[in-house]
Amino acid sequence: MSIRGLGAVVTVESLKLLRQIRTHVVLAACVFGPFAFAAAIRVQSSLPTDTLFGRSVKDSGFAVPLVILGFAALWAFPLLASLVGGDIFSAEDRYNTWKMVLTRSRSRADVFTGKVVTALGFSAVAIVILAVSSMTAGVLIVGVDPLVDLSGFVRSPDQALSRVALAWVSILPPAFAFTAFGVLLSVVSRSSVVGIGVPVVVGLTMQLFALVDGPEALRRLLITSAFGTWHGLLTEPPFYEPLYHGAVISAAYFVVCLAIAYGSLRRRDIAG
Amino acid sequence: MSQHAAIEATGVRKRFGTRDVLCDVDLVAHHGRLHGLLGPNGAGKTTLLRVLLGLVRRDAGAVRLLGSAIESNTEVIPEGVAGCVEAPSFYPYLTGRQNLSAFGRLDGRDRSGVQRRIDDALEHVGLGAQANARVGSYSAGMRQRLALAAALIRSPRLLFLDEPTNSLDPGGARDVRTLAQRLAHEGTAVVLSSHDMAEVESLCDAVTIINHGRVVFSGAVAELKKRAPAAVHLLRTSDDDAALTVASGRRGVKVSSAGEGGLDITADVDALDAYVIALGQAGVAVRALESRVRSLESLFLELTARAAAGEESEAVSQASDEQMSVALS
Repeated sequence: MSIRGLGAVVTVESLKLLRQIRTHVVLAACVFGPFAFAAAIRVQSSLPTDTLFGRSVKDSGFAVPLVILGFAALWAFPLLASLVGGDIFSAEDRYNTWKMVLTRSRSRADVFTGKVVTALGFSAVAIVILAVSSMTAGVLIVGVDPLVDLSGFVRSPDQALSRVALAWVSILPPAFAFTAFGVLLSVVSRSSVVGIGVPVVVGLTMQLFALVDGPEALRRLLITSAFGTWHGLLTEPPFYEPLYHGAVISAAYFVVCLAIAYGSLRRRDIAG
Repeated sequence: MSQHAAIEATGVRKRFGTRDVLCDVDLVAHHGRLHGLLGPNGAGKTTLLRVLLGLVRRDAGAVRLLGSAIESNTEVIPEGVAGCVEAPSFYPYLTGRQNLSAFGRLDGRDRSGVQRRIDDALEHVGLGAQANARVGSYSAGMRQRLALAAALIRSPRLLFLDEPTNSLDPGGARDVRTLAQRLAHEGTAVVLSSHDMAEVESLCDAVTIINHGRVVFSGAVAELKKRAPAAVHLLRTSDDDAALTVASGRRGVKVSSAGEGGLDITADVDALDAYVIALGQAGVAVRALESRVRSLESLFLELTARAAAGEESEAVSQASDEQMSVALS
């Protein structure tokens, strides 16, 4: 694998993504969705009280990105994370273009790594846009009042902003793990429906498993458990152990999924 | 010109499941030559091209392209090797030019270098006017031309063309043949896979015929022509019985009744000329004389039929592969 080769694949894959309507629709939803959510909360009388920080969404704009974070962890993050990863390999099967791609001057390692980097890049960009848009929507529509955290401690706007930003950063590892899972399914199944749909279903199933109070040891091994580790950042004192644990579990999923996916692509005969 | 052959493939084997798709296939193609790869559908031509292009792993054998040994399918194919197997495919949501640009970038070309090559390639394949339309709207013939352009932007010294005139109108097919000849004239080794004997005969200097995954002939087209049996013509006369009588005892002429009326004549050109003159002298009018099976075509059919018959007998007698290849050669 070469840096130049990797750069060439990432450039081509990024250009291909930018020319697809789906990419623009998803990124537009990430930009405007939080504004629609904040505006709807503002005009309705009831509050999403069954969600963490749901009671505070009319009191502090910093509660808005946290409520969105809680909602998105259910299915939106697995979907966003696998949207490109679950399609980026199987699309070559759909269009029958592997024979065109693999007869250029790039090795399978270059192509695999470039596609994975592009998929991870898309996941990161989508989540960052959603985070920035959520915070902007909260601040503009609700205001910059202090935030009462999970311990009842009042956070100044500066503290609230940094904690909310860290909370969003904390969901990147599990999101990347879902991207890697999507990549694996995309390579092995050669189907975009499987590559995108199955991570969402698996994400929901893992969340349900956590809700029904399954064995703790098993719960801690689920990727989705890492989507909730940000709660520890909004207590006083904050606790970071779940964050580390979530990052390790996410890294394990990430490495195993990508290793199997690469092995599969490397051995594959492009004979169809 | 390089001292190496453009392709040196020896003993290539490939098995899918329990089926041997390629059995000890050898292929040598030289710079500046058009090399035909001929065989009926399912013979293994496309699989061989896939192996040579690194798309499919071979089970055994050695491959050198442009002097570089190709060890596995995970390697990058050497600079100067280009081609496309089976029906060309592209990203339908991109324009023809954007597709070429993407493939050019994967070749490691910078943006300005790619654009120059793309303009040249599009001009060569006659697709300049449609280059900015999305490939989703292209006809099969336009995709075929675009595939050729995608190969040309690699400045090929070894070019694989897999049935490149399929889907093309007669004018397009002629352009592709002219381009292949021009590239060979400029020193490129062109490997043309086809099941059209006439196309290979008219274009290629050398030919490898494959059937059921085995090479049944490999050599110069001129050598193949020497081994070709006499051509078969359909003859319609004013009196077929008299024509049969005239034919009896003539050397080099075999005449038999054709199923749909008329006579099948198997003869080389000189013997046929002499026979037609004799018919005129005997008062038998020749109403029609048309080529029925061309000489190389009949050899091709004979070679592939012998191979098929050989396989059947192999299944019965468990004859060894070695015995079989001796029998075929």
